[in-house]
Amino acid sequence: MVEQLLDSMDIERERGITIKSQAVRVLYQADDGREYQFNLIDTPGHVDFTYEVSRSLAACEGAVLVVDATQGVEAQTVANAMMAMNANLEIIPLINKIDLPAADVERVRGEIEEGLAIPADEAILASAKTGEGVHKLLEAIVARIPAPRGEAARPLKALIFDSYFDAYRGVVALVRVVDGSLQKGQMIRLMATDVQTLVEEVGVRRPANTPVEALKSGEVGYLMCGLKDPSLVKVGDTVTVAQGGADEPLPGYREVKPMVFTGLFPIDGDQYEDLRDALEKLTLNDPALVYEPETSHALGFGFRVGFLGLLHMEVVKERLEREFDLDLIATAPSVEYHVFTTKGEMLAIHSPQDMPDATLIERIEEPYLKATILVPPDYVGAVMDLSVGRRGIFDTMQYLSASTVEMKWAIPLSELIVDYFNQLKSRTRGYASLDYEFDSYRASDLVKLDILLSGKAVDALSFIVHKDKAYARGDALAKKLKEIIPRQLFEVPIQAAIGSRILARTNVKALRKDVLAKCYGGDITRKRKLLEKQKAGKRRMKNIGNVEVPQEAFMALLKVDE
Amino acid sequence: MSEDYRALYLHIPFCASRCGYCDFVTEALEADDERISSYTEELIRVLRRSSRSGELGSVKTVYVGGGTPTHIGSRRLISLVYTVGLSLNLHTDSEFTVEANPESLTAPLARDLFSLGVNRFSLGVQSLNDDDLLVLGRGHNSDAARRAIATAGERCNNVSVDLICGIPKQTLSGWQATLREVVASGVKHISVYPLTLEATTPLARDIAAGRLVLPDDDSQAELLLATADLLAAEGFERYEVASWARPGYACAHNIAYWTGQSYLGLGRGAAGMRNTASGRQRYQDGELVESLSLRQRLAEDLMLAMRLARGIAVSEVQAAEESLAGIAAVFSTLLADGLVELCEGRYCPTQRGWLLGNQIFGRIWALA
Repeated sequence: MVEQLLDSMDIERERGITIKSQAVRVLYQADDGREYQFNLIDTPGHVDFTYEVSRSLAACEGAVLVVDATQGVEAQTVANAMMAMNANLEIIPLINKIDLPAADVERVRGEIEEGLAIPADEAILASAKTGEGVHKLLEAIVARIPAPRGEAARPLKALIFDSYFDAYRGVVALVRVVDGSLQKGQMIRLMATDVQTLVEEVGVRRPANTPVEALKSGEVGYLMCGLKDPSLVKVGDTVTVAQGGADEPLPGYREVKPMVFTGLFPIDGDQYEDLRDALEKLTLNDPALVYEPETSHALGFGFRVGFLGLLHMEVVKERLEREFDLDLIATAPSVEYHVFTTKGEMLAIHSPQDMPDATLIERIEEPYLKATILVPPDYVGAVMDLSVGRRGIFDTMQYLSASTVEMKWAIPLSELIVDYFNQLKSRTRGYASLDYEFDSYRASDLVKLDILLSGKAVDALSFIVHKDKAYARGDALAKKLKEIIPRQLFEVPIQAAIGSRILARTNVKALRKDVLAKCYGGDITRKRKLLEKQKAGKRRMKNIGNVEVPQEAFMALLKVDE
Repeated sequence: MSEDYRALYLHIPFCASRCGYCDFVTEALEADDERISSYTEELIRVLRRSSRSGELGSVKTVYVGGGTPTHIGSRRLISLVYTVGLSLNLHTDSEFTVEANPESLTAPLARDLFSLGVNRFSLGVQSLNDDDLLVLGRGHNSDAARRAIATAGERCNNVSVDLICGIPKQTLSGWQATLREVVASGVKHISVYPLTLEATTPLARDIAAGRLVLPDDDSQAELLLATADLLAAEGFERYEVASWARPGYACAHNIAYWTGQSYLGLGRGAAGMRNTASGRQRYQDGELVESLSLRQRLAEDLMLAMRLARGIAVSEVQAAEESLAGIAAVFSTLLADGLVELCEGRYCPTQRGWLLGNQIFGRIWALA
């Protein structure tokens, strides 16, 4: 049997995470002697994919809330449980990994009860590894989760909760039929994008696609309708019939907007077209990914790519390098700034290099997040220090249990993406957990900080920062770059500057000695091989002016220690 | 047509013990071990066969290296050297070098080798400081080294010593003292190597474990600059990045390596090279191990030539441009970066260029 059946991507298996939702239908012979049809959806849990999770929940009647017996309730658990409650789902709490020595079932029960207000005496104790508790869970689903309701006689309403791209069949939508029925040959309309098309095939996933005549009210399955453009098939949209369809779409649809932006550039300029093709292919299965061409003086031609969050960014970058064999430089992530100019315009700026001249700016607004942090009481001070240092605005704090405090903050997204999560984990010995959602745009005193190498500004190293933090971050980044940039033939001065004002400087000393003196008959080949190795190492670096800059320098901002 | 061999190298892959920094082809065996006898006998047979086949007719220099040639005992070494004399048409002034280590070069051996035609001794001294020798794990102390220099010099007025700088714990003044003493001993040739760490050696393990600290590149650069100053003041010419000699005592055998002449290597692990009509071939243990095209051969020649103080004539670089497009531009950037300078119509390495040799060699080889 294949382990992790539904997490099929290499990255998912390696990291033990779910990136892409999967739907599957199974038949279950229950203790009462009857056969039940379960339509199950495995969703991501990470905050980057909150909208997708919310649509999957909207397609369901109930949810199994899986809590790790060793970790307990985390901020993400709370967030996802709240979402399920708001969708009026029946929730079955389950405590997993009880076979592990570090499992603490009683503590976790307490957290579920106090933190989530879910009666925990009904929580199922299970181990997915040993199979313990699985039968109980299946019986609980039969007993507690209501059968789907819906009106077979009403006009078709089906919720698209996910989609993927098939090279031969085009876009495949995963749907939950609410009212009416969806069948082959039907003329349908996608309500948000207002596209009409013919149903080519409907079926169910077990988990392989299995065609059926029709998907009826309450059923979950897939829909193929020959559309080749994934942007027409939006998660959260409602499918209805073209003639005499539903008046109102199902609630909850919204456009997914990228939150984090980064520049992706091929190290080898010849790979630009390959990168474009690769992004196009990934977008087919991942419509949340957006990109547009970007040109950098330092890095050449590339793309500004928008992601749902940092995990999404990491995963996409890794897939581009692994699945498409590209060598990429990623620049430090940025957010969408709203720049109000003196002429009264509002510009949405995704890249520091697009920032207009300071004299033309009236004010800049930046996105703030509502962050929820769960942490043991001992670490409240550590979270305070970190979050205030990141310009966080404290909102509320309450005890969920004797061992867990819930803190709420408003924090600029731009601060959160600079290593906040890792810092949070390390300052709380791994105990803190974090969840967040978009809050609002707020005015901030922001400036663009440039990094100069050998006296020349390198656009790909520029970033936007709060004025009060400009000095500390510029200094820290300059020092970090000094560690990363190898010594070269000439001294490389590194400066951090706002406009023409230099905030910090340091330098990479010139290389003094690089020679292997011994070179006789047998050494010549060996020596040449060494030179070839050095050359290969240089290929992973980018020449900027006369400075060789390694890949990781462009992400150094994420690793600075202020 | 293949070019005739101009140089002959004979490898003796045995030592009394392995030094802490060494990863050469050699093994530690007792001097009377049967394996050494059979190895030497086989090497003599191979040498005779080479001679009969006529491939040694143009050989101008001979170098017996190791390992430790003097470790295998005077009888075996004398047989080998005698066979060399029989097998080659050596001129009286043909350079014939034998490598020797201080602990195994005796006066009778030096005398016998000299009488059989050996006219140059290369001594593995490494340092005249006992702390340095201990760190390196050498099998001799500094007094043994002093005696060996004197012993070799009694018979032969062409003695070379190998020295290592940048040894953990070595000081600038200690290093300068070694240099001064070596100069005063009357040797004609000095090779200086900055210590390089070879993975898997005991020294590399000591350094990885933090028991010893390798001097950084900056302090190695200081030592090398001090070496150049001191030896220049004493009248030594630096004719190659690591080689200094009194006028007229540059090592002809090594210059053959650096000027792209064909050489034959006999013995375990010894490398041979032959220029051919289609480029260049390298052999090891009787097997072809590498084939270079004419273009690669040209790049290698230019790269090796830049190890030498005389460098390359500007006209040669211009002529090379035809088959190695971009070479003229490479030399322009080397000039601009201060790694080479123009002297009498030739590109020669600068002081900075000696220290940053890999930058010069790498840029030239990148065109191949």
